[in-house]
Amino acid sequence: MLEQLQQLADEALAAIAQAEDEKQLEQVRVKYLGRKGLLRQLQQGIKDIPAEQRPAVGKKFNEVSAQLKEAFAGRQEELAARPAVEDASADRVDVTLPGRTLRIGKQHPLLATLERMTEIFIGLGFSVVEGPEVENYYYSFEALNYPPDHPAMDEQMTFYISNNVLLRSQTSTVQVRAMERMQPPVRIIVPGRCFRRDNVDATHCHTFYQLEGLLVDEGVTFADLKGTLEAFATAMYGEQCHMRFRPDFFPFTEPSAEIALTCILCGGKGCRVCSHTGWLEVGGSGMVDPNVLEGVGYDSERYTGFAFGMGIERLAMLMHGIDDIRLFYSGDMRFLEQF
Amino acid sequence: MRIPCDWLKEYIEIDLPAEEIGRVLTMGGLEVEQVVEHRDEAGGAAEPVLVTSVTSNRGDLLSVVGTARHLSALTGRCLRAPSYSSPATESPVTADRRVELGPVTVEIIDAEGCPRYCALLIEGIQVGPSPQWMQARLEAAGLRAINNVVDCTNYVMLELGQPLHAFDFHLLADGHVIVRKARAGETLTTLDGIDRRLTPDDLLICDPGGPIALAGVMGGASTEIHAGSTAVLLEAAHFHPATVRKTSLRLGLSTEASYRFERHVDPNLPLVALARVAELIIQTAGGQIKGQAIDVKTRAFSPRTVTLRPARCNALLGTDIAPRQMSDYLKRLGFEVRRANEDLVQVTVPTARPDVQREVDLIEEIAVIHGYDNIPLTIPGKLAASAVLTVEQRTERRARHILRACGLNETISFSMISPRDLQKLGLPPGHPQTNCLSLANPMSEEYTVMRTTLLPSLLAAAQHNINQRVTEIALYEINRVYLPQEGSELPSEPKRVAGLVTGSPFTARWNMPRSAELVDFFWIKGIVEQLCEGLGIQELAWARANHPAFHPGRCARLLVSGRDAGVVGEMSPEVQQNFDLPEKVYAFELDFDLLIEKANLTNVYKPLPRLPAALRDVAVIVPDTDEFSAARVMETIKAAGGEYLAAVEPFDVFTDPKRIGPGRRSLAFSLQFRAPDRALTSEEVEAMMEAIYARLEKELGAEVRKTQ
Ligand SMILES: [Zn+2]
Repeated sequence: MLEQLQQLADEALAAIAQAEDEKQLEQVRVKYLGRKGLLRQLQQGIKDIPAEQRPAVGKKFNEVSAQLKEAFAGRQEELAARPAVEDASADRVDVTLPGRTLRIGKQHPLLATLERMTEIFIGLGFSVVEGPEVENYYYSFEALNYPPDHPAMDEQMTFYISNNVLLRSQTSTVQVRAMERMQPPVRIIVPGRCFRRDNVDATHCHTFYQLEGLLVDEGVTFADLKGTLEAFATAMYGEQCHMRFRPDFFPFTEPSAEIALTCILCGGKGCRVCSHTGWLEVGGSGMVDPNVLEGVGYDSERYTGFAFGMGIERLAMLMHGIDDIRLFYSGDMRFLEQF
Repeated sequence: MRIPCDWLKEYIEIDLPAEEIGRVLTMGGLEVEQVVEHRDEAGGAAEPVLVTSVTSNRGDLLSVVGTARHLSALTGRCLRAPSYSSPATESPVTADRRVELGPVTVEIIDAEGCPRYCALLIEGIQVGPSPQWMQARLEAAGLRAINNVVDCTNYVMLELGQPLHAFDFHLLADGHVIVRKARAGETLTTLDGIDRRLTPDDLLICDPGGPIALAGVMGGASTEIHAGSTAVLLEAAHFHPATVRKTSLRLGLSTEASYRFERHVDPNLPLVALARVAELIIQTAGGQIKGQAIDVKTRAFSPRTVTLRPARCNALLGTDIAPRQMSDYLKRLGFEVRRANEDLVQVTVPTARPDVQREVDLIEEIAVIHGYDNIPLTIPGKLAASAVLTVEQRTERRARHILRACGLNETISFSMISPRDLQKLGLPPGHPQTNCLSLANPMSEEYTVMRTTLLPSLLAAAQHNINQRVTEIALYEINRVYLPQEGSELPSEPKRVAGLVTGSPFTARWNMPRSAELVDFFWIKGIVEQLCEGLGIQELAWARANHPAFHPGRCARLLVSGRDAGVVGEMSPEVQQNFDLPEKVYAFELDFDLLIEKANLTNVYKPLPRLPAALRDVAVIVPDTDEFSAARVMETIKAAGGEYLAAVEPFDVFTDPKRIGPGRRSLAFSLQFRAPDRALTSEEVEAMMEAIYARLEKELGAEVRKTQ
C-alpha cells in the first residue's frame, strides 16, 4: 500500500509540473485529488489492511495529500503569473492559397550547358580564354591554313563588315591569338558566340555558340584527343555515352575528325533524331596542322597538339528536349522560367 | 554526289549490301548521307544509290571510279581500275602553247588559268537519244538525259571525274579554239540562254569570232550540239581551281563541271577521259575519230614524292602500327611506296591527290585506312598546373547568380540589330551609340548593324512577351557590344550588363496592396545596388541623369569610383510607345567591364557589435530640388555625426504644401550611434545630435524637427 501510494504521488507531481495551463492543471487535480480521484480510491483500501498498520498508512496519506495540494497551488500560482496567451486555434489561414514571395530568375539553358561543359574541361586541366567576335581575315582564314580561294571557305558562310573584317564563324579563330600570346604547353578552351549566314528555322540560326579546345605540348597524340573527348562525353552524359571519330576535313587540322556523341535520346540504338545512326554529330576535331603551329613560331617537329570545336545549341536542345533553336534567343519568359 | 551501286561495282569486286558500303565509306571519310532506292522510268528493278557528301579537299572522290578506289583502299577488295586509251590518245600531238592539226587549231594564251587543254575531233556522228542503259544511269546519278553526245560527256564526267565539253565543230569559226581571259565588255550567251557580262577575271574558250564557252563552268549556246550536228570537238582540259571558282561565284553559277574544277581534277586525266568518251560516242552516235588527239600542255604534271617516317606517324597518332602495314595502306590508295631504310619511306603520290603534300598528310591517310576506331584512347599526361577560372570569370559567374537571385531571368539576344531599333530607343542622330559597324552582306533588314547597346534587344523581348500576354517580365543579359575604334580595323567589344523589369516580381499577388505589388524605379535601382554590393564594389554614387531612352524625372547614373558605370531608370513614354509596352518598364544598362574591374570577391569579416546601438530620429524640411537631394542630406548628417554614427536610413519622405509649405520636402532619417568598446551615454548621444542639427541648419538651411 505504501509503495502504491508513493508511486501515485510521483505520478501526480509530474503531471502537475507538466500542466501547461489552468485547464490542464484542473484536469490533473480532478484526476488525483478529486472526490472520486485516484487518491480517494486508494484510501478506500485502507480498511483491508491489518489494523496495527493503519495509523502509519493513514499518516502517510495525509502527508501525500498535503504535498500534492501544495504542489498544485504552487503550479497554479506559476501559471497565473505567466502572461495570458491568446487562444490561437481560431486564428487560421487557408494553407492551400499560393505562397507569396519573390520569383527567382533562372539560368539560360544554353549558358548552363556551356557552364557545365566548361567545368568538365577545367577538371581536365583546360583554362578558359575568350577572343574577339569581330575578327580580321588573317585570324579567321589565313592563319588557320585556309587555302586562298578555296571552297572550304564557302562552308563558313561568313558575315563580312569589310573585305578584311568579319564576324567569326567559328571559335577556332581564337587558337592563333592564344598561341601568339603563350608558349607551350597551351591547354585552353574558348567558349563563345559565332555567326554564319544561315537561314533561320527550327534547327538553324545565324547566331550560335561553340566551345573550342586546344592542347599543344610535346608528345600530344591523336589518341590523346580521343581520350580527352571520350572523358568529356562520359562526364557530361554518363558511362554509357561515347564519342565517335570519323575522318573529315578542316584546313587547320591534320588528321581531322568529325566528332559524334552516342545519341542520348535512344542510347545509340537509332531513332528519328539521330537519323537512325545512333550518333549525333557535335563538331569537329583533329591534330593541329603543322602550318598553323609554324605560323605562330612553334617548332612543329617538337610540339604537336589537338583542337576541337563543339556546337552548344544541339547539346542543350537534346538535354532539355527543346525542339526549336529560336527559343534560345526569344527572351520569352514562358521559356526562360522553365529552367 | 549520287553513286549508283551497280555502277560502282563495275570497278570493285565487292558483295557487301549498299547500307554496309555506306557505313564503311562514311567511317572512311567519304560520308554517305543516305542510301536511296532508284527506280528508272522504264520500271526496271530498284537500284540502291549512295548519296555521298565529299569534303572540299577531295575532288578525286567526285566520281564513280574515285569512290571505288577509296572503297578498295578501305576494304582491301580488288579495284578493277579502268585503263581507257585509243590509238588517237596514245600518240597525241603535243605542244606547249599551240597545236594545229588538220582542220583543228588549239591555242592556250592564259596558261595560268588553263595549264592543259586536250581536244579530239569526231566526225560523222548522228545525234539522237542515248541508249536506255545510259539514260537510266544518268538519271540514277541525278542528271537529265539530253542527247547521245552530251550524255556521253556527262557519263564520263561521273565515271572518271573529268568534266568534258562537246562543241559542234562546224559552228566553230576556223576550227580554232583559243583559251584566254575575257576582255572588258565581252558577253556570252551560255547554254541556259542567259546573256553573261564578262570581266577580265573570267577564263574563256573562244574562237576567232569571240567567246564560245565559260571555261570550266558552262558552254555557250552558239556552239551547242543540236539534232543536226555531224562533227563534235571534244574538250578535256585542266583549269585552275581558283579561276573557275571566281567566275562561278561572281555569276552565282555552280555547275557539275565548276564544282569539280574548284575541287581539283587530276591534270593527267584528260587523255584518258577523251579515249573513254570517244569510245562511248562512237558506240552510241556513230562516227569516227579524225586524226589524233591534241594535247596542249604548258607544263609537266609529275607525281610528288613525300617522305614518311613511320616512327613519327606512330608518335603523332599514339599508335603502334608496323611500318610494313603503313606501306600496305598507302599502296591500297594507289600510292607508290619505296622503303629507303627502316626509318624512312619514300611515297609517290598520284596527281589525283593534290591534298597529299606533306608527311602529316600521309599520316592522315594511314590513320583513315587503319581506322580511327582502331586508334587507342589516352589522357594527355603532363598536367602543368591545375586549371581554374580567372578572377574575372568568377566575378561574372557571381554577377549572374546575384541577378538571378534578384529575380531576373537570364536571356541572350542577337548581336545584330537594325538602325531602326536605335531610333525606337529615342537616340537622336549623332548620338555616340548610333555609330555602329555595318554588315557588308546582311541577311535581312532586321539585322544590319552590330549593336552598341543591349537595351533594344531587351525591349524587343519585353514587347514579344507582352504580345504573348505575359505581363510579368524580368530579364537580364550580359553580353558584348561592338564599338568602332579610331585607328583600328576591329571594334572594341566591351561587355555590358542590362536588365529589364515590369509588372509584379511576386509569385502571387492576392490581397497585396496595389502600391506594393508592382516594381518601380527603386526596385530596379535596388537590383543594381544588390549587384554592386554582392560584387564587393565600394565607392558607389548616384546622380540624376538625362538619357534619351529614359524618363527625365526617373533616371539615374551610377558612378563607381567616380567613373560613369551606366544608367538605371524608367523608360521614357516615347520608348514605351515605340515598343508597344502598356505598363511602365524599368531597365538598366551598365559597363560590366568596369564592375568586374572594381569588384572584390574577398569578403573580410568585421567583428559583430557587442553592445546595442543608441537610436535617434531626425527630420528636416528642405527645398524640393535636386540640390537638396537625400544623398546630400545624408552626407551632411554623416559628416556631422562623427565616428560613432554607424548608420543613417531614410524612413519617411514626403511633400505636402499644406503641412510644410509649397516647394518643400520633408525627409526623416533614423540614426544609429555605437562605440565599439562601450555603451554611449545619453549625454554623449545628445551632443552628437546637436552637432548634426547645427550642421543641417548651417549648411543646408534646413528646418530641423527634433524628435526624441
Ligand atoms: Zn537516336
